[in-house]
Amino acid sequence: MAGNPFPDSPYDIRSDLLSAHEAALTVIARPGTWLTGEQRVWIAEEVRNARNCPACAELREALSPDNLSLEHTSLGNLSPAQVDIVHRVVTDPGRLSEGWCRRHIDDGMLEGEFVEMIGVIAMTVITDTFAFGLGLPEAVLPGPAAGEPSRYLPPGARREAAWLPIVEPGDEVPEDGPLYPTPTAGYIHRALSMVPQSKRDYWNLAGAHYLEGKQVYDFGDSGRAISRPQIEIIAARISALHQCLY
Amino acid sequence: MLRESSNAAENEIDLHDITEGYRHDTDIAHAELLMGFAEAVARRDENGTSAHRQKMLELMGEPATVDAAAIAAAFHGFVRLADAIGIPYEGAAGGTDSTEMRDEIGISDFYRAQNV
Repeated sequence: MAGNPFPDSPYDIRSDLLSAHEAALTVIARPGTWLTGEQRVWIAEEVRNARNCPACAELREALSPDNLSLEHTSLGNLSPAQVDIVHRVVTDPGRLSEGWCRRHIDDGMLEGEFVEMIGVIAMTVITDTFAFGLGLPEAVLPGPAAGEPSRYLPPGARREAAWLPIVEPGDEVPEDGPLYPTPTAGYIHRALSMVPQSKRDYWNLAGAHYLEGKQVYDFGDSGRAISRPQIEIIAARISALHQCLY
Repeated sequence: MLRESSNAAENEIDLHDITEGYRHDTDIAHAELLMGFAEAVARRDENGTSAHRQKMLELMGEPATVDAAAIAAAFHGFVRLADAIGIPYEGAAGGTDSTEMRDEIGISDFYRAQNV
């Protein structure tokens, strides 16, 4: 495991939250299903770099970002397509489109690779945003672990409801590993299901920050130091500021 | 989720606050402070985030401040997941959001709602 990511924090951070951060940093550096550990660490590093990309700043101001072709300022480790995905998802997520997504797939990116990238990006954004919110330095990314991606493709994954394939509840097979706590899991739970390990890694981190699955539809005790309506007013305002329909 | 949890807690909310910012009709404790913190974090405004964090520490305490930062962080991840995978909006919030409500508070004006 990566060590305490916030060793100099003046705050008493919940132990489950700290453990989730440690686990997230560890898995980011491990070989995934479609990406090596090295590629996954490069993606996390590019997430941090994207925030200062001049092309992204220009794209954010554009009326229609899909009609502009600008060169991102990257760290130079990822392919141009990977860089574009990282930068657009980090800096302007509310204006992504199915056309943008499918162009990357049509140009040769594997759907599983795309989905796994989104998992790494989202996990890095969570860890860094938590640090930013508390005024702490971003956690040091661990060095990549050696090994090959498993390239496991769930047989139940199909593209129907979303831009990329998902495994609907009921279509899982034992080889996928645990995917859903209930057959009514919402689409946000299904989003990364094409790459089951990415889904589990993401939700291990996200659940510790928001609510664990079984708590989401229990509007009584939030189990947190702020009330459920306080949780949801932060959540809703952030979603709106990102123009997120969901 | 905000509407359902507020109903359960018997808090008054003005859903326009979500799209337009705090307007004093929501009676969730410290709503203005929490929304200001959320906005500062979303804009990566270091000074604004620091000022709101200090106020939260004073008024709400350290565990609440840590949890507010955790929620803000979580939703920076969720929006990227939802928007990059292109999951359908239908079914969000357990399928309870009506078209009328989305129109009224401005969600239907979001970029993706206009460009599907």
